[in-house]
Amino acid sequence: MEAMVELRKVSKEYPLGKLTVRALAEMDLCIGKGEFTVVAGPSGSGKTTLLNMVGCVDVPSSGEVLIEGQPTSRLKDRARTKLRLHKLGFIFQTFNLIPVLTAEQNVEFPLLLQGELSRAERRARVREMLELVGLGALVRQRPNEMSGGQRQRVAIARALVSLPHIVLADEPTANLDTATGLTIIELMKKLNRERQTTFIFSTHDPRVMEHARRIVRIVDGRIEGDATCGGSA
Amino acid sequence: MGTLRLLAAMAWRNLWSHKGKNILVGILMLFGTFLVVLGTSVLDSIDQAMTRSITQSVAGHLQVYSKNARDPLALYGSGYMGADDLGVMPDFARVKAVVSAVPGVRAVIPMGMDAFEIYTATELDYAIERLRKALEAGEQARVDDVARRIRAMATLLREELERRKLLLSNHAEIDRQLAIIDRVRGDAFWAELPAAPLAGVEYLDTQLAPLVDENEGYFLQVLGTDVQRFAQSFGQFELVSGQMIPEGERGVLLNQKYYDDYLRNMVARGFDARRRDIEEKGKRFADDPLMRAKVERMVRQYRRVTFQLEPAQAEELAAKLRAFLPGAQGSIDELVQQFLRLDDQNFAARYEFFFDEIAPRIRLYLFNVGETLTVRAFTRSGMIKSANVKVWGTFRFKGLEKSELAGGHNLMDMMTFRDLYGLMTADKRAELAGIQAEVGLKDVGRDSAEAELFGGGAAVEQQREQAQGFDEFAGVALGGRERAQANGHFDPALLDQGMAINAAIILDDIARLEEARGAVQAALDQAGLDVQVVDWETASGIIGQVVVLVRVVLYIAIGIIFLVALVIINNTMVMATMERVMEIGTMRAIGAQASLVRWLLLLETLMLGLLSGALGAALGYWLVSSLGTSGIPAPADELIFLFAGPRLFPAAGLGNVLAGFAAIVVVSLLAILYPATIATRIQPVVAMSPRE
Repeated sequence: MEAMVELRKVSKEYPLGKLTVRALAEMDLCIGKGEFTVVAGPSGSGKTTLLNMVGCVDVPSSGEVLIEGQPTSRLKDRARTKLRLHKLGFIFQTFNLIPVLTAEQNVEFPLLLQGELSRAERRARVREMLELVGLGALVRQRPNEMSGGQRQRVAIARALVSLPHIVLADEPTANLDTATGLTIIELMKKLNRERQTTFIFSTHDPRVMEHARRIVRIVDGRIEGDATCGGSA
Repeated sequence: MGTLRLLAAMAWRNLWSHKGKNILVGILMLFGTFLVVLGTSVLDSIDQAMTRSITQSVAGHLQVYSKNARDPLALYGSGYMGADDLGVMPDFARVKAVVSAVPGVRAVIPMGMDAFEIYTATELDYAIERLRKALEAGEQARVDDVARRIRAMATLLREELERRKLLLSNHAEIDRQLAIIDRVRGDAFWAELPAAPLAGVEYLDTQLAPLVDENEGYFLQVLGTDVQRFAQSFGQFELVSGQMIPEGERGVLLNQKYYDDYLRNMVARGFDARRRDIEEKGKRFADDPLMRAKVERMVRQYRRVTFQLEPAQAEELAAKLRAFLPGAQGSIDELVQQFLRLDDQNFAARYEFFFDEIAPRIRLYLFNVGETLTVRAFTRSGMIKSANVKVWGTFRFKGLEKSELAGGHNLMDMMTFRDLYGLMTADKRAELAGIQAEVGLKDVGRDSAEAELFGGGAAVEQQREQAQGFDEFAGVALGGRERAQANGHFDPALLDQGMAINAAIILDDIARLEEARGAVQAALDQAGLDVQVVDWETASGIIGQVVVLVRVVLYIAIGIIFLVALVIINNTMVMATMERVMEIGTMRAIGAQASLVRWLLLLETLMLGLLSGALGAALGYWLVSSLGTSGIPAPADELIFLFAGPRLFPAAGLGNVLAGFAAIVVVSLLAILYPATIATRIQPVVAMSPRE
């Protein structure tokens, strides 16, 4: 299987007052194309840190993170930003939509940054994505006019609009009620199936884990268990 | 393009999402731009007005004067007491030839400034003169009337001397003077008069008249120049009364402002001053103690009117005053005193009566156009020189009628000026050497020097007596060797021959001032002349600095406003950035470069700046334009000069509006510098969940 993400002996330490907290300890991990992986573990186990490393929004203290075989830890800010723009999609726990932009504009934003598509192409892609997440009718709404579930759908559409190879979702259901959370998970699974997009998301919600094909359990910055579940895939 | 549009939309919406703060910042920026447009427009207009005032009244575009000057040239005074030492340019003709050859120079006008004393007749002189005429005509009634007046004056003089006696230990001189006065007051003198009228008048002329203090010391600020060329070259020059000094004639043209302010009858001046107080300053006698005090002073000056009246005129006026002032009684003196007691109710009618009935019967000015006055100067060589100069007319600088500064110069022909300035010219030196050779005088020793000095003093005394024993001045021979040739014609070609203290240069094009200045200086240096060139602004002395000062004050005010705006904008943007850490982090995480974040903040501030700047500039432009139609009245007479007239008509140019915009853009950019740096440092990781 083609490795989308590979971590080689990745450690991450944070200073915390006079102490140093070790969030990741020499972690090795490989995630293949089209995987639907859950990173699970209790609070403070290092889930978010792991996602930050994979998402190239933070650099490891030691070790190397490879995205599609390309080492990233020595990249300059500009290059790393470009890599995020073209290869990665982000779904945040708090949705993180830009409040002054409409749903449509939020989704269009990464395409504008890429600057590769014409106005008509962008518009078509944005509509397609919003249809996909079931929000075709809400294009002109601003985030504060939408419900939590609707916002997260917009966020998913934004994460997918640039056709990223890897989508990172950090506790995507944490701020949603159970039913909405499950709908969102179903939506991500559907996209994973239909587009072969690699999904990596962190959660400590057992109901979410039920839907994962692979669960990586982390405790104290180390992988404690890495299981492939046949159930839902 | 799409990114820019999105950024603009984001910036625009961000502005609205922080409405309160941004409106405050906007108002501040609006006010700043408004002030820049208004302030620079008004200042530019003052600059232009003052340029007109100065260049077209006295200074011209450039001024040249000696490099040996100890003080800088200050055409409107240096602000210090005393006369400036400007050196001289001994050979003006040479300077003129060199300067005129420089391309772009239209005219070179010789000048020199100095202050001379002027002598005029006193009331007693006039009375003695009237007595002489009455005696000649044999009109006994007039003789008696004038005699009564002269005796009254003698009595007043006696009172004054008695007071003076109390202060002095040596009474001999005063007693001698008192004896003269008492003789004139006594009946015997007047009884003898018909028998020997000439001796009597001469006694009054030579003995009594010198006891009267001269009229208050009048100083005449003089600008010696080629008056003809001056009038042609300075656009603001305008003859008010009389005539231009004919070519080749000596004489003065008085500044109308000086003529009205210093030489006019004090009672007439008082009436006009009170009228200005009432009409222009809105004052009332009832409310203003100073105005009432001035009325009291005016009442005491009644003699300035009554002493001038012939007996018949006095009778006539007394009758009119009795009719005008119901119930008024007494002599003409008492009637005039009552008439001068002005208040709010009677002012308008009395003002009219004064100028209709009284003014035509008296001399309104110390001397009239057409008369000749005696001017005395302490020359640079230490001698005292006098000249009788004819007053040909009065002039003004258009628009600057009320300006004290523009009123400071009276024009005198250059020939007389040179005589009075008294510098030895090459010609004079040669002439003097000739005289010395003729009389066999080789050297002046210590003893003979003293004799010379005493001789000179005697000449002055004699001169002074003659000046007072005048007969319409004309034809009076002045005593002393140092007298200048008065009222003599001269060859106009001589105007350029001889010295000048400074000279005005008129250029074809004021825009090329600096270039011309350099060219003129180079030409003078090449010709080996010790002459320096300054532009009109420098030459105007302290006045030129006023506008610079006003400009500095305005810039400081604008600077402070923008500094406050800068601090507030900076603060607001820092806070806005802090509030948007998550948003900015998210943008960075999904692939926005740091530069995009910087652009976003920049765009926000620029939008706010340009929007409020446009409003401020529009407001400033509108205000300046409406002021340009109505004019800004000069709040004080001193400002008339700066405004080149009683009102300033400012105009806003594109430059002023652009200056406003430039200022606001600079302020916006400076204000955003720090918040933008903070914003670009926000890491994408902040968008993720809080660290576990």
